[in-house]
Amino acid sequence: MKDEKFNIQLLKEAEHAVLQQYTRRHFLRYGAMGIGALALSSLLSSCWTGSKKSSDSLIDPANPLASRPPMFPGKAKSVIFLHMAGAPSQLELFSFKPELAKLDGLDCPQSLLEGKKFAFIRGVPKMLGPQAVFKQRGESGLWLSDNLPHLATVADEIAMLNAVTTDQFNHAPAQLLMHTGSARLGRPSIGSWVTYGMGTENKNLPGFVVLTSGGNNPDAGKSVWGSGFLPSVYQGVQCRSEGDPVLFLKDPQGMDRDLRKASIEAINKVNQEEYTEYKDPEILSRISQYEMAYKMQISVPDVMNINDEPQYIHEMYGTQPGKTSFANNVLLARKLVEKGVRFVQLFDWGWDTHGDSAGNAVDIGLVNKCRKVDRPITALLLDLKQRGLLDETLVIWGQEFGRTPMQENREGKKMPFKGRDHHSAAFNMWMAGGGIKRGISFGETDEIGYNIVSGKTEPYDIQATILNQLGFDHEKLTYESQGRNFRLTDLSGKVITEILA
Amino acid sequence: MSLLSINITEFAGRFHPVLVHLPVGILLLAALFIILSKFERFQSLREAITISLFLGALSAIASCVTGFLLSKTESYEPALLFKHQWFAVSTALISVVAFFLHLKNRRTEWIAGMIVILIMITGHLGGSITHGSDFLTKAFTSGTSKGGEAYGNPILNVQESHAFKDVIKPILDARCVACHGPNKQKGKVRLDEPEFILKGGENGLTIVPGKPMESMVIKRIILRKDNKDHMPPIEKPQLNAREIDLLSWWIASGVDFDRQVKDLEQNDKIKSILKSLESGKTTVVTVTSFLPEQNVEKASEAAIKKLHDRGVAIVPIAQNGNYLSANFVAVESFTGNDLQMLESVKKQLIWLNLGNLGLTDSNLEAIGKLFQLRMLHLQKTKIGDQGIKSLSNLSELQYLNLGATNVTVKGVEQLSGLKNLRQLFLYQTAISGDDLTKLKRLFPKTYIETGGFEVPKLDSDTTVLKAPVIK
Repeated sequence: MKDEKFNIQLLKEAEHAVLQQYTRRHFLRYGAMGIGALALSSLLSSCWTGSKKSSDSLIDPANPLASRPPMFPGKAKSVIFLHMAGAPSQLELFSFKPELAKLDGLDCPQSLLEGKKFAFIRGVPKMLGPQAVFKQRGESGLWLSDNLPHLATVADEIAMLNAVTTDQFNHAPAQLLMHTGSARLGRPSIGSWVTYGMGTENKNLPGFVVLTSGGNNPDAGKSVWGSGFLPSVYQGVQCRSEGDPVLFLKDPQGMDRDLRKASIEAINKVNQEEYTEYKDPEILSRISQYEMAYKMQISVPDVMNINDEPQYIHEMYGTQPGKTSFANNVLLARKLVEKGVRFVQLFDWGWDTHGDSAGNAVDIGLVNKCRKVDRPITALLLDLKQRGLLDETLVIWGQEFGRTPMQENREGKKMPFKGRDHHSAAFNMWMAGGGIKRGISFGETDEIGYNIVSGKTEPYDIQATILNQLGFDHEKLTYESQGRNFRLTDLSGKVITEILA
Repeated sequence: MSLLSINITEFAGRFHPVLVHLPVGILLLAALFIILSKFERFQSLREAITISLFLGALSAIASCVTGFLLSKTESYEPALLFKHQWFAVSTALISVVAFFLHLKNRRTEWIAGMIVILIMITGHLGGSITHGSDFLTKAFTSGTSKGGEAYGNPILNVQESHAFKDVIKPILDARCVACHGPNKQKGKVRLDEPEFILKGGENGLTIVPGKPMESMVIKRIILRKDNKDHMPPIEKPQLNAREIDLLSWWIASGVDFDRQVKDLEQNDKIKSILKSLESGKTTVVTVTSFLPEQNVEKASEAAIKKLHDRGVAIVPIAQNGNYLSANFVAVESFTGNDLQMLESVKKQLIWLNLGNLGLTDSNLEAIGKLFQLRMLHLQKTKIGDQGIKSLSNLSELQYLNLGATNVTVKGVEQLSGLKNLRQLFLYQTAISGDDLTKLKRLFPKTYIETGGFEVPKLDSDTTVLKAPVIK
């Protein structure tokens, strides 16, 4: 026993003696091979691919919303997406079809119905001529109906997409497709992709803000601004334009700001200790979230308050402070963009003009809806222009699909009012500012606006174009989930180069 | 698998750019040792000559071999290549000779001189092949830059000018010749001289006289940018619509190299484009490209961190670039001292937003030093006419926002020297009427916006349509 112990002792001493003989020269001699191997491995690594290629290498886990550079210099710095949820009729707004007027009241030819599925049309519907007066506007000569008299005055600022097409004819999947690149749930929305890609410039405000009006959230629910498989910090923050803009931002009763601050500091200190011990970056993320929430207590009420805007701005936008309205949201969108918010998403509900009631008639309800949005949208374009922000703000006007050139005949019966059914094959959207050409029109549909003829534009193409204007290649902005890289446009998408300035 | 599929000669050839630097360094050093060892003080260097000549000769031979392999993989300007190749071989030979002479203890000073001269010539020729023969001298010639408009100077009378020489060649020179010209012939295509233009390349004809849409050159230019065959490559300056129209017009009219513009058929569109060449650059209202052409070194990390910590959103304009944009929108309790921090990034900073801060005239001096600025937001600040003079140093400025400040026409006039200014925003300032007319005359190429837009009230705005009452 004793011997054994002694032997071990000796062995240890001998090892120690050997180790002491190591000099810097030994280290370099033995290490040279290792260094060479390191160099070789980095050289050879380019010969095969197997490394993870998500775009998240630039993200600082402690500050996931910090501003980050785009892939290439972008034209736009922020985006305002105005979505008319329910889908207004392009045939009463932007798509001038005099041939359709001649067919008004006639039976729809069988050739248009064969193999087609509609949400409500059954049997043989009648054709419905345009229920609005169209004129060419501005120097560009864009066709716009009298339903949008104010927008008509700024027609030269916009690029009209005449041949947008989708493959969904129900609201929720079509909205999901437009905003997440997939008709099924679970994908991140475009605003999430953008804030994931480039963060936001104002650390005191969320990077992706959602404002809704019209009495309802869009049919697809909050998933249209969800973050899907992206980290949840990138989901849209829905702000209310009435009451507290963000719930639970006020200090609770009996707790003043100093106490609030002290408690957040205490929590963060504990978290910091936790981080020192476990080095989990998610803890840093939590700390920054607490800090941001605290900052938002001051910054959000300030930026979400439209009362301090001058009277002439209120008149220009047609805003009524204290109420929830599309106009208020549009003015807020301008304020948010001015404050460095990256992506502002507006949804206005109530455009689903089937003709089942006066409010849903293309010649009554649609006209009233237009009057509510025409002024604020026009004011937004002019206001961004005079503030020198239009070039770096991309404005998109859109909807989930279009409406049929036929009058809806729900259950095969004549409807009480003039309305149109959902139509996925052809509709209009427009873009303005943010490096988009001014006063141009892209794409064509046939003589009755039923199918597209040229310039096919899919939701993926619109998404690719938005990312392109911000400085991203839509094929390279990816995130690894469930074992493969995903991107917003998935397997499709082409930048609409024809409308780029 | 992918490793096996690599073409071994091509792979080896690609080491040429790395290897070439070894003989340059080692042989120059050997030459230096040879000369220096003549002096008593440096006699000890003599012992190093053998090994440096040996390594130098060895690396020179390796460079020759890899260089030869590389020359087979791509097409380079043959005359330059010929010279480079044979000077390189001579260098290698001479260095071998030098090595053996040295071993036999012969005098090698004269041969050291030869090595130096040969290396300089070979190196210069090699550089000319890769970087273009005007790479060295570019710094002296301030001619038209490659990224800008094709037409540096307006054409005096476009109808009397030569269709090819004055109208078409400048486009090709600016957009194509860098890769399809005397120095490089990608795809074996040359677009610099008539004979080569008609000859075509490895994929056949590049230009089909009379048929622009069948000409490879037009087809590839109008391909979508995301197609890999698109020309020019997406990272290079692109042809604008005007240039594409002109090129198509010239091809459609039969590819003539001698006639004048007036002899070729023109439709109204082409006539107006041609006419616009007489006035030089068209007035661009929107800022199309605000990136400087030269690259810049990276800004100091410490300086950026300092700004970050202060709440400034400061990031590169793009991931692979070093130019910066800075936004002060989230900076709390701003003071003039915060601007001093920007001085350390002045070479990189091209976009700056100081809007809505308590900025005063005294702060503008610090901004005047940021000489690279392209876009500057100063709206909603307390600045006025006194400080604005400092901005007249910002000669690169393209966008300036002075909305909702105290500036008047007197202040803005001081900026008339800013030749690159394209957009000037003066919303909510005292400037209007005659002052504005005066400014527009003073800044003929600048889009000036004073805003004040209104959306007129219409009766229909407030009326709500109701369903007709059915009896």
